[in-house]
Amino acid sequence: MAEAAEEARAEAAAGAEETVKIICLGDSAVGKSKLLERFLLDGFRPQQLSTFALTLYKHRARVDGRAVLVDFWDTAGQERFQSMHASYYHKAHACIMVFDVQRKVTYKNLNSWYKELREFRPEIPCIVVANKIDADMKVTQKSFNFARKFSLPFYFVSAADGTNVVKLFNDAIKLAVAYKQNSGDFMDEVMRELESFDLQKSENLLDQEESCPEENPPSA
Amino acid sequence: MTYIAKKCGVCFEPPSIILIYTEASKDKTRQRIMPVRNFSMFSDCSMAAEQLKNNSRHKAYLEGVSLCQLQKLYSLLKGHLRGESLAESLEKFRQEKTIDPEEDMNKLDDRELDKRKRIMDELFEKNRKRKDDPDFIYDIEVEFPKDEQLESCSWDMESGEEI
Repeated sequence: MAEAAEEARAEAAAGAEETVKIICLGDSAVGKSKLLERFLLDGFRPQQLSTFALTLYKHRARVDGRAVLVDFWDTAGQERFQSMHASYYHKAHACIMVFDVQRKVTYKNLNSWYKELREFRPEIPCIVVANKIDADMKVTQKSFNFARKFSLPFYFVSAADGTNVVKLFNDAIKLAVAYKQNSGDFMDEVMRELESFDLQKSENLLDQEESCPEENPPSA
Repeated sequence: MTYIAKKCGVCFEPPSIILIYTEASKDKTRQRIMPVRNFSMFSDCSMAAEQLKNNSRHKAYLEGVSLCQLQKLYSLLKGHLRGESLAESLEKFRQEKTIDPEEDMNKLDDRELDKRKRIMDELFEKNRKRKDDPDFIYDIEVEFPKDEQLESCSWDMESGEEI
């Protein structure tokens, strides 16, 4: 009890809670949801947004003594949801990119996932994850060049037996927070400007409408 | 009365599912022939298997036989009705139960994707450590050898497909 109260005070003192968004990308059936469920155990209450082919998981974490609210975006790999991708990437602070060590095609497809990620989010931290190592431990004796080629952190994990799952997500959260705090990301700046621009514009429109109500709207 | 299933198979002519079983606390081995009716080369094997398993007359005898095995027997019968050899039907069944590592699952619809997921879930469940297991550890960290000491994965080696 006392601890909780103290925690609340500390949080209040630290100001608003930090919120970060982490996206999970990768082909269909590589185990993205299973990894998240293993990390969050029963602590999660996922929100299914089937129209966006998306499952949202909320998680509370602590980074350097500070409370962090994490939004995990678990995305669908199927091609028919391609048009949703822009919203996945929007304002994400880190990315976890998963492939299945049993299926080569999921590894080869990392190329296109990564290319798309960088189109939308050129700077955010990205972790490459080789899942399902429980199916064949021999793969951990091999090197996978993709991560090295782009100098990305690489983890061997298993959602089934839990190997390195907690470490993966905790590291991703740290990277996301660090990214947000030092956000020199050019796209972020642009987005902020665009948003305030939108706001100003609609205010102006409102003013105009009020000042000259009799005027007909300009024809398109 | 409890029945202990020993073997379960299929007979093509006349079409029937055959169970070899014993009764609990008795030594005698018995055979039960369950005729297959209203089943054609167009029928749904999962549905047929479920109906047989829930059939009020056979239910008690089939408790020890998995739905999956019954499905397999029906799919062999279906293959026979289509004119396939037993070897062909078995191969087809095997393919339905295994994952093609080259298949791009991003192109599948929900139904087909779920099928593949169910197959992969079998291994997942087998290797799964559950929260309630006595030896469950939440945070398992394992260090694997670093790149420099490793042999390159063959997936990186194909010419023309450089990753």
